[in-house]
Amino acid sequence: MIAAVCLDDNNGMLFNRRRQSQDRLLRADLIREAGDGPLWLDAYSAKQFKEAPACLRVAEDFLEQAGAGELCFVEDRDLTAWAGKLEGLILYRWNRTYPADVRFPLSLEGWRLARTEEFAGSSHEKITKEVYEK
Amino acid sequence: MKRWKLCLTALALSLCLLLPAGCGMPMEGGGDSYDIAWTLDDIPDYAGEPYVVLNDNQPEFSEEYMTTDSFETYGELDELGRCTMCWANIGVDLMPTESRESISSVKPTGWIQNQYDFVDGKSLYNRCHLIGFQLTGENANGQNLITGTRYLNVVGMLPFENMVADYVKETENHVLYRVTPLYEDGELVARGVHMEGYSVEDGGEGVCFNVYCYNVQPGVEIDYTTGENWAADADNGGDAAEVTYVLNTSSKKFHLPDCSGAKNMKEENRQDYTGTREMLIQQGYTPCGQCKP
Repeated sequence: MIAAVCLDDNNGMLFNRRRQSQDRLLRADLIREAGDGPLWLDAYSAKQFKEAPACLRVAEDFLEQAGAGELCFVEDRDLTAWAGKLEGLILYRWNRTYPADVRFPLSLEGWRLARTEEFAGSSHEKITKEVYEK
Repeated sequence: MKRWKLCLTALALSLCLLLPAGCGMPMEGGGDSYDIAWTLDDIPDYAGEPYVVLNDNQPEFSEEYMTTDSFETYGELDELGRCTMCWANIGVDLMPTESRESISSVKPTGWIQNQYDFVDGKSLYNRCHLIGFQLTGENANGQNLITGTRYLNVVGMLPFENMVADYVKETENHVLYRVTPLYEDGELVARGVHMEGYSVEDGGEGVCFNVYCYNVQPGVEIDYTTGENWAADADNGGDAAEVTYVLNTSSKKFHLPDCSGAKNMKEENRQDYTGTREMLIQQGYTPCGQCKP
């Protein structure tokens, strides 16, 4: 399982049970990243994908269901309990600050930064994508 | 193009601040915008975090303002020349299409500027937009600019403005947005600002907050009556013990070395530090909310 997570400059994920930000081009990048495989997510995250691409697999227990090598978009779930199942991590950094009361819970110790990309989002000047492997 | 712009009367605003909870403020355009008016008595003292959540993060807009028409209103200056409540229904049509212009012609009340080496950008005070430029494109509007510390502007208010701006740009929905400076009696500098936001079309699913941001600057003492300010004495209060912390030079947060925030920090932003907590705070750093160093 590979988890994709969006983070602000302070590793924030959520404020008041809501995502900090969103971006159309980031979602398009997620679809590309899923390739021919599924993109697992919960109903809260799926609502952003207006065109509902065929690769979406929506389930509240998606972290349990996702198989080896499959991509999960994680916005409002605590990954701590799933750390052992993670084969890869994709961190999308907004390069902005937002209010946060939930932050990314995992340490990157033991992870190798395999590649970094930068791209302009639809409403973000620069989104940094960091791909980590074990 | 901006749909409409109102100026509140000082009288109406005074009423708003005086009325007890449950009483609204009569406004141009009809109706009441406030169900509850917060006062400084309701706000806890600053305790190291840039903002505090009010009313379980539920804003207090009257139902009748849940509209999909954009608007922006800037309260008239009060009898002391101070800014008052500003509020808007932010839509993409209000957002700036041109670069920001100079706002240095505006001198808000209590503007006694001083420089400190430990303040980001050195200047203590910013002309702090109540409704941020990125939301409604207001430049040198004296009814929208207060004397605010760098910390209030960048650490306190900006994250909320960013959140609202992104949401509106991405969804093209509207966000009801209200910012009210709170003053102690006749003081010229606000103690802080009350900020509320609520996304209209999705009933608050996208944006929903109710917070108070403190107009303080760690390491600086402020006389809010006049705006005079001076460096706090490092020997007064605080823990003098030397401890090792990890600093994020970008976000100005400090962490314990084993905090995940420290471990995940970008290398270019990371700086190891051994010294007193008090000195870090004086340099404008704030403790991480997760590891609470």
